Amino acid sequence: MGQAGARLAVIGVLIAAVPAAGPAVAQTGRLALPDVPNPKVVEASDVGRFGGTFVVSSISDPRTFNLLVAQETSSTAPLGYLFDSLAETNRVTLDVEPNLAESWTVSRDGRTWVFRLRRGVQWFDGRPVTADDVVFTLDAAFTPGVQSSLPDVLTIAGKKIGYRKVDDYTVEFRTDQPFGPFLRTVGGIAPLPRHRLEAALRQGATEFNRAWGINTPPRDLIGNGPFVMHSYAPGQRITFVRNARYWKVDRQGQRLPYLARIVIEIVPNVDASRLKFLAKETDSYSARPREYAELRGMQQAGNFTIFDGPPTFGGDFLMFNQNPAGVRPPKLAWFQNVRFRQAVSHAVDRDTIVRQVYAGRATPRYGPESPANKFFYNPNVRQYPYDLARSEALLREAGFARGADGLLRDAQGNVVEFTIATNAGNADREAIGNLIRQDLARLGMRVTFAPEAFNTLVGKLVGTFNWEAMILGLTGTIDPHNGQNVWKSSGSLHAWWPKQERPATDWEAEIDRIFDQAATTVDQNKRRQLYHRFQEIVAEYVPLIYFATPLTQPAFRNTLANFSPAPGAFYDIETIYYRTPYR
Amino acid sequence: MLQYIVRRLLQLIPMLLGITVISFVIIQLSPGDFLAEMRLNPIVSQQTVDQMRRNFGLDQPLYVQYLKWLWNAVRLEFGYSFAFQVPVTWLIGSRLLNSVLLNVALFAAAWAVAIPLGIFGARRQYSLADNTLSFVAYVGISTPVFFSGLFLLYIAFRTGWFPIGGMTSIDYEFLPWTGKVLDVAHHMVLPVIAYGVFGGAGLMRQMRASLLEVLRQDYVRTARAKGLAERVVINKHAVRNAINPLITIFGYSLGGLLGGSAILEIVMGWPGIGKLLLEATVQKDLYVVMAALVIGSVTLVVGNLIADILLALSDPRIRYD
Repeated sequence: MGQAGARLAVIGVLIAAVPAAGPAVAQTGRLALPDVPNPKVVEASDVGRFGGTFVVSSISDPRTFNLLVAQETSSTAPLGYLFDSLAETNRVTLDVEPNLAESWTVSRDGRTWVFRLRRGVQWFDGRPVTADDVVFTLDAAFTPGVQSSLPDVLTIAGKKIGYRKVDDYTVEFRTDQPFGPFLRTVGGIAPLPRHRLEAALRQGATEFNRAWGINTPPRDLIGNGPFVMHSYAPGQRITFVRNARYWKVDRQGQRLPYLARIVIEIVPNVDASRLKFLAKETDSYSARPREYAELRGMQQAGNFTIFDGPPTFGGDFLMFNQNPAGVRPPKLAWFQNVRFRQAVSHAVDRDTIVRQVYAGRATPRYGPESPANKFFYNPNVRQYPYDLARSEALLREAGFARGADGLLRDAQGNVVEFTIATNAGNADREAIGNLIRQDLARLGMRVTFAPEAFNTLVGKLVGTFNWEAMILGLTGTIDPHNGQNVWKSSGSLHAWWPKQERPATDWEAEIDRIFDQAATTVDQNKRRQLYHRFQEIVAEYVPLIYFATPLTQPAFRNTLANFSPAPGAFYDIETIYYRTPYR
Repeated sequence: MLQYIVRRLLQLIPMLLGITVISFVIIQLSPGDFLAEMRLNPIVSQQTVDQMRRNFGLDQPLYVQYLKWLWNAVRLEFGYSFAFQVPVTWLIGSRLLNSVLLNVALFAAAWAVAIPLGIFGARRQYSLADNTLSFVAYVGISTPVFFSGLFLLYIAFRTGWFPIGGMTSIDYEFLPWTGKVLDVAHHMVLPVIAYGVFGGAGLMRQMRASLLEVLRQDYVRTARAKGLAERVVINKHAVRNAINPLITIFGYSLGGLLGGSAILEIVMGWPGIGKLLLEATVQKDLYVVMAALVIGSVTLVVGNLIADILLALSDPRIRYD
């Protein structure tokens, strides 16, 4: 095995030395590296050149280098260069494909999964990545007090997932019931090196949470990913250098990644990020919707390309408080009334929001899933075109009527007035709130729009429940299951009425059933049908009134190659390279 | 004198107690806590959030939290940052030097420009040069530093002569030490202009006004009348008397050596403690804010003390004993 591996590697080197050799040659033989018998082959349009520094910017410092406790992008993004997960989502197809795990099998009852790890994969210090590391990572995550959100997604119907080491390169997982999102969830686990972190875990959860903090010397951060952290200067930059032991190859069998260095420049805000990109100090920039047209005109001078990117996963919405603990009767009755919410949804001028707030770089939205979620998105849900006459008809049906003074009153004669809150400082939400307030005023509602501090808002949302209406946004993920905390009536983020003992309405009960059923269904097409029905219910009963799905508009310097528009990321960091020697 | 210094330093103790109690209570009483952001993450469960509250000790009564903090602070342990899970002292220490470096440079530039120009303006009151300086000073005083900062960044962007914010370039760590010094100096030009030109304006006006007042006094006329050289009249007699209010300002600005240019740091992307503290305050990262307040209060008091000592040294009429 080792012999064959070495021989094939020699062929790989020969091919690398003769760039003229066509890709067909490489595709016929099985590629291998001296130390990795079956390296992962990363498909990309070109075979790249080696070298160069890729410079990106980030608007915040990382908070920790401990991947297990890292929560926000400013920490997980840099750590993504250092660690690989068992399986990964293909950026083009969004399918789950092998990564650290080279294969997996599932038992017929859908409850036992066996993952085979890729042999020869090494940590930065040369130790092999084994089943012990995977088991250690899960042990750490499930240790009470460790600040990981992994147990939240790996606990199925109140029971934690079972796992054990079968041999050095095999891990077996077992669940009580079949678990629909298993592959995406477990596949997303990135093992940590047991030999480096075991001591910290033995000292307890608090010590583990602090292990690999941002004060750790970068050379002690041992991963298995394409890049090694070289240095971190707080408030300035993080520098990464190529991992010479990496276990992925291009289609000619050359060891990836192509880039020699990556630098994350830490900048104070998005405007600085943009300025640095335009000044050619950085190589990529995620433009905001309203910058798209302007940046298109600057492409040639700036030597970059701005793409008409895919929609974002998350989205903003307006919701009404239906929680009896938070709102008193006349208002509670309006907010709990489906017709009232539907009337408001018809009064939301989504086209104007798309035009004015997002400069046309968005699509109107009516349901909880984004069209970016190609597999689960249901386009055929009830839509609410802007139609104030329709709104008035719905309000009449619900017993509301306009008085001589033009104000809307309910059947008991109470004037319809309420406050819409949102977090101050979010320009998009503030603009949307003002547009909505104007349209609701046309219906005779007396609406106050009051942006307030983010912390205050969240305190009301999950603590005092003392709010009336709110504009907010939540991030989305591919698998709708991860939204169960929002959608199940018992969820703590079931924001319009959290933690219900039993579902208050029939439609909430049905959503509960759908989420439970989809969680224990392994057939992905069946799960899709279930989640399609869920989207129909949400669009019909509008607990959250969605506005629009903004599009993304990533811009990249033209000196870079091997990136292309895709529903996921626009490039794989392993295969991106510089066309011309640069930096 | 020594007794006076000791007394002043002892006064620090009740003052710090007062400052910390009030800030601790106000921070905790304002709505929301550090975990607000996490509560809005659909993947994070209520149990996880509760667990973190316990880990951070946020579930205990307010006075228990304060007393624990105080006991640790007395032993110079300022606790761990909620957000970063590293000791607060490391977090602040990692940026403190950058802030001090910038502030010393700004300080030196502003004073080096403002004092001579103020004296010059006072000596040639209402001349064309003085009026021009006054005009520039008014523009400087009325330009907020965030605006001058952004304006200079725009200039840097258009000309390409200066880096767009930050303190070092991406190759910094690979440069020899001379290169490192030059690199930082290059990055420092714009902040120094932003603050030195615009921020020094107020100082210049102060110096000018103070000197003008002294120049009207009888002893100056006497000095001139007895035929002293103008240079001696100004430098030895007038300026020495006019400088007192500026020494007070000097001491006061010493208190700003750490956090005095937070806005400029944020605008120019200088990796100092400004942005760190702003974010900590917004997110209610309690112990970071508390440590910063303690450091800020101590430097302010010490700065004022230094000013008082300098006053006594420069003006023989001032005695503290």
